[in-house]
Parts: sequence; C-alpha cells; structure tokens
Amino acid sequence: MSSVATIVLDASNYALILLLIALGLAIIFGLMNVINLAHGEFLMLGAYTVLSIQMAGGPFWLGLIAAPLAVGLFGLVIEEVVIRRVYHRVLDTILATWGLSLLLKQSIVLVFGPGSHSIEDPISASVMIFGAPYPAYRLFIMAISLLVVTATFLFFFKTRIGLAARGVIANRNMAACLGINTRNLDRMTFSLGAALAGLAGAVIAPLISLDPHLGLGYLVPAFLAILVGGLGSIMAPVVGAAGVGVTENLAATFLSPVYAQLIVFITAVLVIRLAPGGLLGKKRRQT
Amino acid sequence: MIRTALSHMKTESLVAGILLVVLLLLPLGASSWLLSDLSIYFSYALFAASLAFVWGHCGLLCLGQAVFFGLGAYAMSLVTLGMVPGVEGMVSTWLGFAAAIAVPALAAQLLGRFLFHAQGLQGAFFGIVTLAVAFIVERLFINWDFVGGLNGLMNVPPIVLGLNGDGYELWEAVPLYYAALFVLVLGFSVLAALMRSRWGLALKAVASHEMRTKSLGYDTAHYKTTAFSIGAAIAGLAGALFVVQFGFVSPSLIGFGLSAEVLIWVALGGRGMLVAACAGAILVRVLESNLSSVFGDTWLLLLGGLFIVSVMFLPRGLVGEAIHGLDRWRAKRRKGGSTPRGKAVERLSPSEYTAR
Repeated sequence: MSSVATIVLDASNYALILLLIALGLAIIFGLMNVINLAHGEFLMLGAYTVLSIQMAGGPFWLGLIAAPLAVGLFGLVIEEVVIRRVYHRVLDTILATWGLSLLLKQSIVLVFGPGSHSIEDPISASVMIFGAPYPAYRLFIMAISLLVVTATFLFFFKTRIGLAARGVIANRNMAACLGINTRNLDRMTFSLGAALAGLAGAVIAPLISLDPHLGLGYLVPAFLAILVGGLGSIMAPVVGAAGVGVTENLAATFLSPVYAQLIVFITAVLVIRLAPGGLLGKKRRQT
Repeated sequence: MIRTALSHMKTESLVAGILLVVLLLLPLGASSWLLSDLSIYFSYALFAASLAFVWGHCGLLCLGQAVFFGLGAYAMSLVTLGMVPGVEGMVSTWLGFAAAIAVPALAAQLLGRFLFHAQGLQGAFFGIVTLAVAFIVERLFINWDFVGGLNGLMNVPPIVLGLNGDGYELWEAVPLYYAALFVLVLGFSVLAALMRSRWGLALKAVASHEMRTKSLGYDTAHYKTTAFSIGAAIAGLAGALFVVQFGFVSPSLIGFGLSAEVLIWVALGGRGMLVAACAGAILVRVLESNLSSVFGDTWLLLLGGLFIVSVMFLPRGLVGEAIHGLDRWRAKRRKGGSTPRGKAVERLSPSEYTAR
C-alpha cells in the first residue's frame, strides 16, 4: 500500500512539473504561433539563477522568487531583439530559438563550467503519507505547480487581458481590428511563458543535478505533451502533461527510463497521427 | 566559344565547377594534414547537401538529420567489423556502403510513411517530431550494449578496395582525399540531377504549396516520403564516408548535437543551393579548426550568434547570398552583350521563403 502511494505521488509530481513547463510553451505557441525551442534553456536559466544566489550565500527562497523575474525579463529582451523579427515565418522561429538555445547553453558553460552542480534541499523533512515517508519538498512542488496553474487559468478566464489574449488565439487579425494591442500582448505573452519556465527550473533545481544540457530532457516531453493535448486551447496542456508525465513516470518505475521515453514517444506519435489536432484540439484559423 | 558557353552557364553550376577544379588541384600544394582534414569535411559537406535537399528543396525541416548520418556510420562499422549476426564473415567495404545507404533509407521510409500518409504532419510539427526522434535514438544507442553503448565502436577499418576485406587499404592522405572527393561529387550529382528532373520540380511544388499540388493530382505524401528517404540515404552514405576515415563511431554522431550542427552549416551556407550548403559545412569546419584555438569556448557562442543573425536577416545564407549577388552581376553584364539565353539562378522572393 505504502509503495503504491509513493508511486502515485511520484507520477503526479512529475506530471505537475511537466505541466508547469508545457504551460509556458503552450501559451507562447498558442498566442504567438512561435515554437520556442529555447524553452528548455529558459528552464535551465531559472535553475542556474537559484544556483548563483546560493553561491552568493542567499537563501533558496530568494532564488525561487528571483528566477521567474530574471527569466521573464530575459524573455522580454529576447522577444524584442530576436523573436519580433521572425513572427511571420513560423519555421524560422524554430531556427532562431534553436540558435538561441545553443547560445544560452554555451554561455552557461562559459560562466559556470561544463560540469554539474547541485542545490541544497531547502526542506529536508519528510511527511508520512499512508505509512510511507515522502519528502516534504516534493509535496511543496506539487502545491506550487497547482497554485501557478490555477493562477494562470484565472488570469486567462477571469481578467480582461486574459479575454483579449484568448481573442488573439481565436483570431489574431480580428482581435487586432477590434483594437487589441497585439504587440504589447506578444511582449507580455513571451515574457510570461519564459517566467513560467524560469519558475519551473527554480522549483526542480534541488531535485536534479544542474548541467548546461538539462533543458532538452524536459523540452522533448513538454513538446510531446502539448502535441498530444492539442494546440490552440489553454486547457490542452493539462491533459497532455498528465498523459505524458504519468505514462513516462510509471514506465520508468516498472521498466527503465530509456524504454519509458520510447513508449511515451511512440504513444504520443500515435495519438498525434490519430487525432492530428490533439486530444482537445480545436481547428485553428490559418494566418 | 568557351567564353560564350561559360557565360550561359547557371551561376550555381559555375561556382560548383570552379570549386571542384580547385579541390581537384589542391593536393599539388597543400600539406597532407590539411588534406586529411578536408577529406573528413567532405563527408560533412555531403551530409549538409542531404539536409539542403530535404529542407531547402522539399521544405521538410528535419531537426534530426544526424539520425541517418549516425545510422549509416553504425551500419558501416557493424559490417566492416564483422558484427552483423549471421554474416560475420562478410566484412566488405562495399557491402558496408550498401548497408549504410539502405538502412537509413529504410528507416526514413518507415518514419515518413507513418508521418506523412493521409493528413500528414505539417512543417513545424514534423520538425518537433524529428527532434524527438533524434533525442530518443541517441538515448537508445547509449543504452544498447551490442553497439558499444556510450563508448561506441572503435577500430573501424578504413576503405578496403578488395571484395571481402582484402586488398588495398585506403589510408594515405592523397588517395583518401580523392576517394572522399569522389563520393562527395557522386552524392552531390545524384541530388542535383534529382532536383533538376521533372520529379524534382514536382517536389518543389509540394514544398511551396502542398494543397495546390495535391489538387493537381500529385500524391504529395508519396513524394515527401521518397524525398525524405533519399535524403536519409545520402546522409547515411556521408556517415559511412566519415567513419571509414575517423575509425570510431559513438552515440554523439547519431543524436541531437550533430543535428544542430548540420542545421547551422546549412543555414549559414544557404539552404536553397546544394553547393552553398556544402561550402557552408566545409567553411565552418575549416574556420572552427583554425579559430577555436584563438576564440576558445567563445567560438560556439560566435557561431550561435551568427546563426541567429543569418536566420533573421539572410534567409539565403552567407554563401547563398554571395552566389546570388554574383548571379545578379552576371545578368547585368550579359544584358548589353549577346542574346541572354542563359537562365539565371532561380530567385526566391521573400514571400516564397515565408511559405516554407
């Protein structure tokens, strides 16, 4: 019984982390039609922000707050300098963000060295759940992820800006004609997506060993999650991340991590082939 | 008469011809060290040409092209090391080349059939799926002990001209240089001929407007799958050419890192022309081996920055832009002279690039 509880908790833990990453990716793609291959590196930047604050002697919690702010600001700059110029060429956004990811990886290698680093566990206590000890920090991660995802939904469905953003997803040209400042919305969106990645990176930093190449291992499942879930809907990544995250984690527990990735990939591609718009996909207007 | 013939040649072919002559004459003056470097770069150039064909001509942005390069390299190594179960005795280089072409082509055929048939994956999604393929195949090879796991396979023999691993071994710099150049020219010519054929024209139509081409009665999924397989076969050939010189194959050849590199070579060189892509690969590698000692770790930073700038401002690539400029200059000069029969290098307007 207790091991079942641990497995379930681990799987939902991973799925929630994936959701946090996929959400930022989906927001950027859904609103801006930009495929951000540097998202994994934004995640890495978040984790390294925490690392540099730890190296400076600051507490972990300061890093947790600083990471989304720093990465969000960075996203704002990148949007202005690079992304803005390739909006109308979807395939080129892939290339530009890929170049950006190489640039960021190499910069981190230059500053922090190619080796791996670790972050001290901020909460070392364990909580007893169904008779099994479970690290409290993992529960904290789940709480943060749920909180942030809920906040994002409230933002999109309960505020005026969120309404405008959904209008842009539905029909960009029409939204612009109705007086929505899509330029400002683009800035905000990219920055928000980057900040979510930064937060995710900061949150998972104590669980993993930090190295400059950690981004790709999260980017690929996150992309599969939004492809499976479907595009053009903010709800979709929730379904996708839950599916991909739980499948991968369970397969990794019972088989091996490599088979887990293979199984997830094959299932994901099958789903994409059978339902090209994703499980929750809506028809998008071609722009 | 030669002058008129030259002035009617396409600028792209002219540049390719001049480069070929330079490369053919190079062993007269160059050190054997440079030659052996260059003959390895020829395999990269062929690899870049395969991506330029798949991406530039057919509009399939493949973010995992190194999978096929790696498959070719592994196929060649397994055959020449006598590790293929059942036929351990067959260690012929020729069989290795055949396997290095067939295995990636088959893999691409299966993947392509699966991804393209019926209402297939569109541009960007295809890119993401191929990226995931590269990521997973690399992990698989790292964990597959039969092919040496993370360490890879060592002591891969060089090209042996005999039918079954006997006879003359190709390891001296100059013969190897010409052999590698021959394979490059062979692969290049196959791709160039395909691109110029009627079939290649249909492919171009698929790339620029798939729906319209479909309406005209072309089976676009079949076209894309076949083109993808041909690109994979050429990439596999390049992988085999690489490993017979390098003597060592490891999972880093098959995965994400090399896929990113080849994309940079092709984007910097020029995705629209084979010769620009090849020149891009050789140029970047030559610069890298000469400048990386000066710049150290900042070299990759520089390359990444240059790549972003070229994506933003020079969709034709650096070499492609130069050839294009030369072409315009020739066209201007020709106007005053004899009848302008020579066809200029095809020009793409910015909107056509957008369509890709």
